[in-house]
Amino acid sequence: MVNRVLSWVDQRFPLTFFIKHELTDYPTPRNLSYWWNFGFLAGFVLVLQLATGIFLAMHYKADSGMAFDSIQHIMRDVNYGWLLRYLHSTGASAFFVVVYVHMARTLYYGSYRAPRELLWWTGQVLLLLLMAISFMGYLLPWGQMSYWGAAVITNLFRATPYIGDQVVIWLRGDYGVGDATLTRFFALHYLFPFIIAGAVVIHLVALHTVRSSNPSGINLADKDNIPFHPYFTIKDMYGMGVYLFIFFLFVFFFPNTFIEPANNVPANPMQTPPHIVPEWYFLPFYAILRSVPDLVGGVVAMGLSVMIFAAMPFMDRSKIPGGANYRPWYRAMFYLFIVDIFVLGYVGSQPVTDNIVLLGRIATFIYFGTFLLLPFVSKIEEKRMRARALPPALQALFDKGVEGGK
Amino acid sequence: MKKFLTGLPMALLACAALSAQATEAKLEQVELANDLPTLERGAETVATVCTGCHGLKYIKFRDLLNLGIDKDKVEAWRNGQPLDNTLQAQMPEDAARAAFNGAAPPDLSLMAAAREGGGNYLYSYLTGYHKSEKGELTNSVFPGTQMPDVLAGADAADEKQRADVEAKAKEVSSFLVWAADPHAQERKRMGYYVLVYVAFMTVLLYLWKKRIWREIDKRPKI
Amino acid sequence: MSDSDDVDNPGRRNFLGKITTVAGAGGAAAACWPFVSSMNPSADVLAKATTEVNLADIPPGGEHTVAWQGKPVFIVHRTPEDIKNAEASQGTIDPEPDSKRVKRPEWLVVVGVCTHLGCVPNRNAEGGWLCPCHGSMYDASGRVIRGPAPKNLEVPLYSFESDNKIIIGKA
Repeated sequence: MVNRVLSWVDQRFPLTFFIKHELTDYPTPRNLSYWWNFGFLAGFVLVLQLATGIFLAMHYKADSGMAFDSIQHIMRDVNYGWLLRYLHSTGASAFFVVVYVHMARTLYYGSYRAPRELLWWTGQVLLLLLMAISFMGYLLPWGQMSYWGAAVITNLFRATPYIGDQVVIWLRGDYGVGDATLTRFFALHYLFPFIIAGAVVIHLVALHTVRSSNPSGINLADKDNIPFHPYFTIKDMYGMGVYLFIFFLFVFFFPNTFIEPANNVPANPMQTPPHIVPEWYFLPFYAILRSVPDLVGGVVAMGLSVMIFAAMPFMDRSKIPGGANYRPWYRAMFYLFIVDIFVLGYVGSQPVTDNIVLLGRIATFIYFGTFLLLPFVSKIEEKRMRARALPPALQALFDKGVEGGK
Repeated sequence: MKKFLTGLPMALLACAALSAQATEAKLEQVELANDLPTLERGAETVATVCTGCHGLKYIKFRDLLNLGIDKDKVEAWRNGQPLDNTLQAQMPEDAARAAFNGAAPPDLSLMAAAREGGGNYLYSYLTGYHKSEKGELTNSVFPGTQMPDVLAGADAADEKQRADVEAKAKEVSSFLVWAADPHAQERKRMGYYVLVYVAFMTVLLYLWKKRIWREIDKRPKI
Repeated sequence: MSDSDDVDNPGRRNFLGKITTVAGAGGAAAACWPFVSSMNPSADVLAKATTEVNLADIPPGGEHTVAWQGKPVFIVHRTPEDIKNAEASQGTIDPEPDSKRVKRPEWLVVVGVCTHLGCVPNRNAEGGWLCPCHGSMYDASGRVIRGPAPKNLEVPLYSFESDNKIIIGKA
């Protein structure tokens, strides 16, 4: 019976063909490690945020006089409201953990290299959308941190030449962050997940055109590709189990880890809390912003620090395929970069003192330095590696003149 | 070159550690209670004493009933007010602002969540009143506080009085922790079941994954 | 437990698969419940499902209107004469004995919404009500004695907490 319905549909819509070609039979390298689970996890977190978000929106009031109270209403009176809220707030942080690990995997294994540049750039767009949506979402509880975080970040747009002040007022819909700001942030916060979903589809189309890279960085022979189902469907499910255990550990036992105490105080436009911190996932960029003493310079530096990832396919000039696994200098730079990000994150979380500013500036210097040095380091590294003997597998590829996996 | 690149992260981490800030006033680490009798005693103090100045706009009398507090006690506290009324401060806000040098007594519903340290903060604050060297009344957690020493901790003459103050502070803090997050117990209970289930499913999924991958895993590593 | 067992005996692999799928589906279904439940009336809405009324303030012959679930409810402290009048008949249009409409004869509790098209009737001199919209009339027991209303005023669920307190909405 099901087969009859399916074949009726298939004559009119490529349903079975699509599922077979893009999902069940889709050839995937057999050596993918668990670092390749994070793309799927990001999709799962998106779905969960969407679901919890919609049900929260049934009770939330996007009015500056009612927002804070409506969240308490959700936490106290709505059936399982507390669960919806904690799933959503923890989910926002989880989203960034998953996406940052996903990005780190891409950087480590060189999965951004030709022919996967567009895949990397569509991912970059997704990151920007994610940052925007979480920034807007953070205003919605209308707590002290929500309000002042939004006030500071919208103020950054003053850096726009000539029309800076007007841009800020236009963004806010008011002279300061106010009711107009809250209402529009809610409208956009509700809209963006669907834009993100569309961008995810584009990202996946790009992926399926060039196919997944793999830990070796070399394009595998056909016999070494296996169908996505059941091998990677089950592997993704298992990975999701591990993820959910850690996720629920936070949701049920440490839900306030990601909620700043100051955000349990209703927004007060007359009084800034002594210690404004953005959410943890913005801390490294916040540190870079504060490292430059000039307003415009700081904003430019911060913007650059996010956008510079897009340049990676051009920065890595080595013809040795893959990423850090065969290339010791690239690997060292990668680890340096990761540590530097953590240091920046720490700097961003601390109040401004001379020591912190100095540390921040050093870390910012290293941050941009690793990108800017990469073209030179990668070329020198390649020369040195070619002077000595390459690993045999790599050598074989080299002789064939293959670069970057295809 | 490799040594330099690996040494640099270590140097960065060391710098970060050195710039760590000194922490603020140390808080007493006290074990707060969840049992109904303690919460009830805490509720009594809050509903009869603290509401002299403080409100709890997110706690209704009905919520106290649902917690399990004795019906007659709640009846006495609400004094004819409807069950759905919230706990209100008896002092009107303008008078309060005038009485406390411009600092109106804040709402207490979320106080346990609004302060770093939560219940420990509240307990340390309530028991933190003492006389400074100059003989002025001050609080070790919040030196400039306008709130009077309601539990009379600074005046405790002997061990027993001090113990009473600490017991009261513990009850009030426990109740305020409940008030900030009334579903905490339910949440943790549910959490145990969820984690057990997820752990069970993950084990099953792991075994199934291994089973499905058995032949592929036999092939030589790439 | 050798490898060939699994290749020759897919039932083993399938059993693990089946039990995992079933357990997983169960978990997924259970996970939907909080979402569904969150759409049900919240605790504060449910609280409004009942209204407490203090009867001590209503003198004999007096009437009080309270809100219950967004509707007005008339509470009348009937005098012995009112009770006699009410028990005298069963009403004309929608016959019903007075005893069926009260728990204690001196207290009448009825929903103040006209059974015709929903307006709120006004108290009249005869101890009953007159609806201003289309002229329906109700007697001292809230029974309709002149249309176009088809039915008597609804008697809600209520119970006596004590001699001086009723809870509307709770049996």
